[in-house]
Parts: sequence; C-alpha cells; structure tokens
Amino acid sequence: MRSVLLDLKNVTFDYILEDKQSLRAVNGLSLQVEEGEYIALIGPNGSGKSTLARLLNALIIPLSGEVKVDGYATKVEEHRWEIRRRVGMVFQNPDNQIVATTVQEDVAFGLENLGIETSEILKRITEALDRVGLRAYAEHAPHLLSGGQKQRLAIAGVIAMRPRCLVLDEPTAMLDPRGRKEVLDTIHSMNRQENITVVHITHFMEEALQADRVIVMNRGEIAAMGKPETIFNGSTDLHLLGLEVPPIPRLAEMLRAQGLTIPMNVLGADDLVSYLCSSK
Amino acid sequence: MFIEVKNLSHVYMPGTPFQVNALTEVSLGIERGEFIGVIGETGSGKSTLVQHLNGLLKPTSGEIWIEGRNLWSSKTDLRKLRSRIALLFQYPEHQLFEETVFKDVAFGPRNMGVQGKELEERVRYGLEWVELDYLTYCKRSPFSLSGGEKRRVAMAGILSMYPEAIILDEPTAGMDPVSRKHFLARVKRLHREEKATIIFVTHNMEDIALLAERLFVFAAGKLVLQGRPAEIFQSKETLEAIGLGIPVVTDLMQKIHRKGKMIRTDIFSVEDACREIMRSYREGVG
Repeated sequence: MRSVLLDLKNVTFDYILEDKQSLRAVNGLSLQVEEGEYIALIGPNGSGKSTLARLLNALIIPLSGEVKVDGYATKVEEHRWEIRRRVGMVFQNPDNQIVATTVQEDVAFGLENLGIETSEILKRITEALDRVGLRAYAEHAPHLLSGGQKQRLAIAGVIAMRPRCLVLDEPTAMLDPRGRKEVLDTIHSMNRQENITVVHITHFMEEALQADRVIVMNRGEIAAMGKPETIFNGSTDLHLLGLEVPPIPRLAEMLRAQGLTIPMNVLGADDLVSYLCSSK
Repeated sequence: MFIEVKNLSHVYMPGTPFQVNALTEVSLGIERGEFIGVIGETGSGKSTLVQHLNGLLKPTSGEIWIEGRNLWSSKTDLRKLRSRIALLFQYPEHQLFEETVFKDVAFGPRNMGVQGKELEERVRYGLEWVELDYLTYCKRSPFSLSGGEKRRVAMAGILSMYPEAIILDEPTAGMDPVSRKHFLARVKRLHREEKATIIFVTHNMEDIALLAERLFVFAAGKLVLQGRPAEIFQSKETLEAIGLGIPVVTDLMQKIHRKGKMIRTDIFSVEDACREIMRSYREGVG
C-alpha cells in the first residue's frame, strides 16, 4: 500500500466577516491522499475548495481538527517549513505570484530561499522553464508576459523546488487551449514520472476526467468522491452542485437513453467514436 | 458599419529591446447588433484589439471608425464613447474601488452626467441584471463580497451605462459550470432582446461556437480567419496550429465522419450531436 501524504481529520475552518459574523468554509472534513495520487477537486464557487487548498500547506490553520502533511501537523509552527517544502501551491491569478524582474530570477526566488547552491539553481531553472515551455523567455520581464505565460511561470517556480505535492487552484482558468494542454501535460507528467502527488482544483470537468480520484465539494463538505467514471456516470446530481457532466459522458448518457448500448466507462471522444462506428 | 478597423497596427514600447508588435495590419468590420467572438491564443492580440475599439489604446498606425467617424482624427468625446462601447476587463473584480456597491455601479453613468432618480434607476437595472438584490447590496462594501459577487458588480457597472456595445474579455474565467452557463444565457438575452452588440473574447471554443454569429481568429497579431462558427470550426488543423482547438463535440462528429459515416460535422452542442447521431443511426439501420 502507498503511504498517506495528506491526512485531514475532522477539519473545520471559519472566515470572520467584517461584521464579526463567521462563515464556515470547511466543515468537519476528513480525507486521506496517498503519495502519488492525482486528485481533482471540483465544486461550485464558494464550496470550500480554495480554503481546503490553503489548509494543505499551512497558509491557514484549522479552527478544529488536524491537517497532517507527511506526518507533520500544520498547527505546529515549527513544522511549517517542512510542510511548505513538501507542498507547492499554484494559485488562480498569476499576477499575484510574480516577485522578480526577469523570468529566471522569478524561478530562482524560491530556490534561493531554500539555500540551494548556484549551479544547482541554474540547472533547476532551465529544467523548470523547459517543462512549462518558457525557456526562450528566461531573460524577459515577467510583467510583459501574457496571462497564460505568467501562469506557466508560476508553475515553473513551484516545480523547481521539487515538492512532493502540487496543489493547484484553477491553474488553467485563464489559459488558451494550447496553454491549457501544456500545463495539464506538465502536471500529469510530474505526477506520472516523478510520483508527485497532485491536488488539482478545477471548473473544467474534462480535466477532472483524467484524475485518479475526483472529490466533489459542496458547502465545505465532501459531497461525493470516487473514480471519474463513477462521478460522471449520472449517479451524482452534479447540476444540483453547480457542476455538469463533461460533453462526451453526457452525450453517451443521452445516446443510452435513446436506446444505444454504450459502456459506462466511455469518457473520451476516441472511445465513443470507435464504439459508435463499430456497433453499426 | 458600426465599428470599422482599418489597417490597424499596434506596437508596445517601440524602439526599445522590449518592442512587441501586438497587432499588424488588422482590418475588420462589426455591424450593429452582431454577436462577435474573438479567439486566439494568449498574446495573439485579442485584448489589444478590443482596447482600440473604445479608444483605450491609440493605434500606432491605422484607423478606428465608429459610425463613419474616424475616432482619432475627429473630436471624439472618449468618455462618452467608453460608455457607448463598454469594456469589461479580465478579472474585473480587481477594479472595484468605491466604498459601496451603489457608488461602484453608479460610477459610469455619474461620469456621463446622470444624477438623482435616473442614476438610481440605472443602478437598479444593472444590479437586477446580475441578480443582486438592490436593497441587500447597494450599501455594502464591494470588498466584503465574494469573488463571484464582485464580478457581478463589475458587470452591473457596465450595464448601468446602457451601452450600445459590450466588450467582454474572458468574462467567465473562474466561474463554476452552472454560473458560467447562467451568465452566458443572460448575455445571449442581452443580445437578442435588447439588441446589444456583443464582442466576446474567449478561450472557450465550446461556448463561443454556440454563442457567436461571427468569429475573428487571431494569431501572432494578425487576423487569420473570419466567418461563422460552422465555417471556422471545420478547420481543425489550422486552428490547432495556432494554439486553438475545436469544440469536443464537433471533434467527435468530424471523427465519425472521417470513418465514412454520412453525418453533419457543423455541430456544437451535445443535444444536436445526439439528434444527428441518432438520425444517422436510424438511417443506417433502416
């Protein structure tokens, strides 16, 4: 059995609003994520996905319950350094994540803070920029990059630190189709080749299709959890949760309702095409 | 012609090592009441183009004509133009700055000289459109709102100007699927019922295929394709070569077609795909 990397026990978190009222963002949530797993976290706006992400690398600490990363509890202040070395975060808006005046310096920033030596830093910068397709921009000023390029830079900055786990909060929300594909390919190859655990928050249901496990959040709780083919086969009322079934599984479902026999595990276009073209 | 772009080129930071040719010799026309989709990969010039349409950017060369008048050679009241052709930026939630939601939504019309009862009416209209209750929200601070609410306030601030044309630059990024669908349905209604001209910049091929009457496709600062979605999305290879793609459902139909089935390929929605596959299936069987 693979070891548990992220361990959440009965975690609750409240935001305090300006009028002193509190808003429960995460409510008694328990979850274990194994090393090397690819988790897609979906749910409507305001369901607690981003709060959960921030709990994972000790940016925020649970009001009650416990978050452990590789055995280190986030509420223990002395553990936070170890936790942030293991869990790298990429946020929604890349503009808030850029700190330096050139692309390569931006990637170097986190590495310098880890006290890594110069030759290794240079190697890692090149490697990271290669992975996100920005090597040609190494000397450019980050603020001159487009939104998509900035987001890839943010990812480069995190992967250069070689974390055990990547937590990505809607990393592709602003990217064009090619940029999205590049970023997704990057995340998947980090996961497959280097066994990096991925927690990927997304509003693109197609992206969730490729995860090992999909977690659906609603009102700060886990509303459903399972393999993509189970979550998207119509048994979970996703629409009620502000979500939708991606186009291909949805089409397969409609065709089934019309009397065609299509296996439940058909999730991709190619599968559906070969099925439709062989069955006639 | 409502909006005409003639030979537009735009260079950022000319004469420096950072010179970028954002747009090169772009010419296009937009008729009143059209629903236009603007697609292209990041950095292809889409946002630069739309910022020219209401005078936020000045062409390096070329001209912008609004209703037969050259925007930069005639004495155009730019403030007035920006209320007629209003632009909702990417991440508009970062642009709220007033103390209350009312003041933020009223900012545009107030600048146009609207006051008193009419100002309130316009704020009500804007907030109603985005489905935020006037009494609940008008006195609240925009900074106390959720990201989604802030974005709706920003949209209300655009609508309160009663614009003739609305430019939306990636308006649905970060919205959950149901909110996105809901927002798109309202934009569609704005176009159909209030006859607004819509210029919609997006990376979402599925959405724009279903919404736009005409598409402008940009690559490396040039307008490379224009036409109806049904025409544009037949060119899968061309689109992929410039970093774009075609809707998943269209791709599926084209793949079935390539396998020798008699099936329509100009299909963008799951519902239409289901109907067409069943039609083809029944014909095949019968």
